[in-house]
Amino acid sequence: MQPSSQHSKVTSAREAVASIPDGSNLTCGGFAHSLTPIALVHELIRQGKKDLDLTSMGECWAADLLTGAGLLRRARLSNYMFEGFGRCMNFSRAVQEGRIEVEDYSHFGITSRLQAAAMGVSYMPTKVMAGTDILNIKSFDDDKYKMTECPFTAEPYVAVRAIQPDVAMIHASRADTFGNAQVFGATSIIEEQARAAKRVILSVEEIVPSSEIARRPELTLLPGFMVDMVVKIPFGAHPGGMFRYYNYDDEHIGQYWTASKQADTFEQYLAEFVYGVEDRWGYLDKIGARRLMQLRADPGLGY
Amino acid sequence: MPVTDFTREELMAVAASKEIHDGEVAIIGTGLPMIASYLAKRTHAPTVSLFFESGIIDAFPRELATGVGDFRLMSNCIKAAGLYYALSLLQGGRVDLGFLGAAEIDGYGNINSTVIGDYIKPKVRVPGSGGANDIASLAKRVVIIAAHTKRRFPEKCQYITTPGYLDGPGGRERAGLRGNGPVRVVTNLAVMGFDDQTKRMKVESLHPGVTLDDVQENTGFELLTADVVGETPIPTVEQLRLLREEIDPDGIYISRG
Repeated sequence: MQPSSQHSKVTSAREAVASIPDGSNLTCGGFAHSLTPIALVHELIRQGKKDLDLTSMGECWAADLLTGAGLLRRARLSNYMFEGFGRCMNFSRAVQEGRIEVEDYSHFGITSRLQAAAMGVSYMPTKVMAGTDILNIKSFDDDKYKMTECPFTAEPYVAVRAIQPDVAMIHASRADTFGNAQVFGATSIIEEQARAAKRVILSVEEIVPSSEIARRPELTLLPGFMVDMVVKIPFGAHPGGMFRYYNYDDEHIGQYWTASKQADTFEQYLAEFVYGVEDRWGYLDKIGARRLMQLRADPGLGY
Repeated sequence: MPVTDFTREELMAVAASKEIHDGEVAIIGTGLPMIASYLAKRTHAPTVSLFFESGIIDAFPRELATGVGDFRLMSNCIKAAGLYYALSLLQGGRVDLGFLGAAEIDGYGNINSTVIGDYIKPKVRVPGSGGANDIASLAKRVVIIAAHTKRRFPEKCQYITTPGYLDGPGGRERAGLRGNGPVRVVTNLAVMGFDDQTKRMKVESLHPGVTLDDVQENTGFELLTADVVGETPIPTVEQLRLLREEIDPDGIYISRG
């Protein structure tokens, strides 16, 4: 028997985000200015969540917005950088002023923690980070690493412990109503994040029939049984981009980045684009149809 | 006719491109490493495989990309995968060469890209490792590209994000690192390597018009010098044409001086 509409996981951004308790350990999708779950992050900010932890690799947008809005308590990270612009300003300022705690990893190191959880093992042996201050200097992760050796060859390894975020917030290209989700282009660490997390909240550019998903199964990144809630949010990654849908918005990213250099100008940014709108449609109205149409991808190029 | 009209950045791109050998697999970032890699691929290394930590393998972009997550790289590539896949190629021993930048680099080629000042409440928080630690731990060879100033070349990094030779000879082996470490540092003043015995940085060639004193004055530690310090080879007419007309026609990474 095929699943029917009563099995649908489709909900609103407001309801999906309302299900996230204060103090949650989040992981958010996105690489540089693509696949960014901005609409869901804005909703977190509007709902005034508190004391969040972020387990991340390089998801600069979630980190910077959440820090700038004062929602973040601690961050595990490898690298936060606004590619093409500069440092992650809200985040850097908060670290410099001691307002948030950070724990550094390498890309492979932190993703190995997620991959261990995804595979249902309690740790992952790696050959990275050894000999450096990433291991020598610990902040809040008491279980950051342990040296171990292979039981077969006695080769030394840096073991990192499995980590299971409470919620993964992922923005994908498209899904059916059951959460079978597809992504066009490079996929960052979405798969590891979603497989590691206890719950997955998915937003997508479009909801398509299951038959359309099944027609291109090689594009499916997450089967629906791994996804708990599905929200349809067109332009949900803006000012980031989605390959084959729309390019990232250089102009708006520049506006954001400039505003993020100081607390007061960033407050104004939030007041205008996050607190000052009721939902994502209000935000898109602010960006304007003309700009959104300019960003739409050329079908041949994909950007 | 000798070419005289070229910029330091063009010279650096040409010097860095020489580090790429045909038939190899290299992990690259944006900026000068990307320019140098494309130059190598169009000249002496046509079968080099180039990939980005973002999971993009062998991209042939129609326009120059401005970041490793740029859709221009995704739109025309051999494989668009995930980051964990891309970096696992390093741990799997598949990667010959990696390029890195640096906020700080010491005499053993260790790199800081995490904090200026203490780790807790630093003076300046900079981006962090990213894939750099992974690349430097695991790629067979590493080439570093940096602007040459005393502040960027201190005696000791304030935080070691990315391993060079760590505390000297045998440091990498003691830490259990698989890659062989940095082999070259290309700056706007010189090309440097590392002494086999001491693992300390040594000057191998000077860019035209630069003296050894200039390089030492801009370095916060004592530099060794190779037995013969030559002049960094200048770009050929064809290399300059490729850089200016085909690879970076808009001067995104290589300013026209």
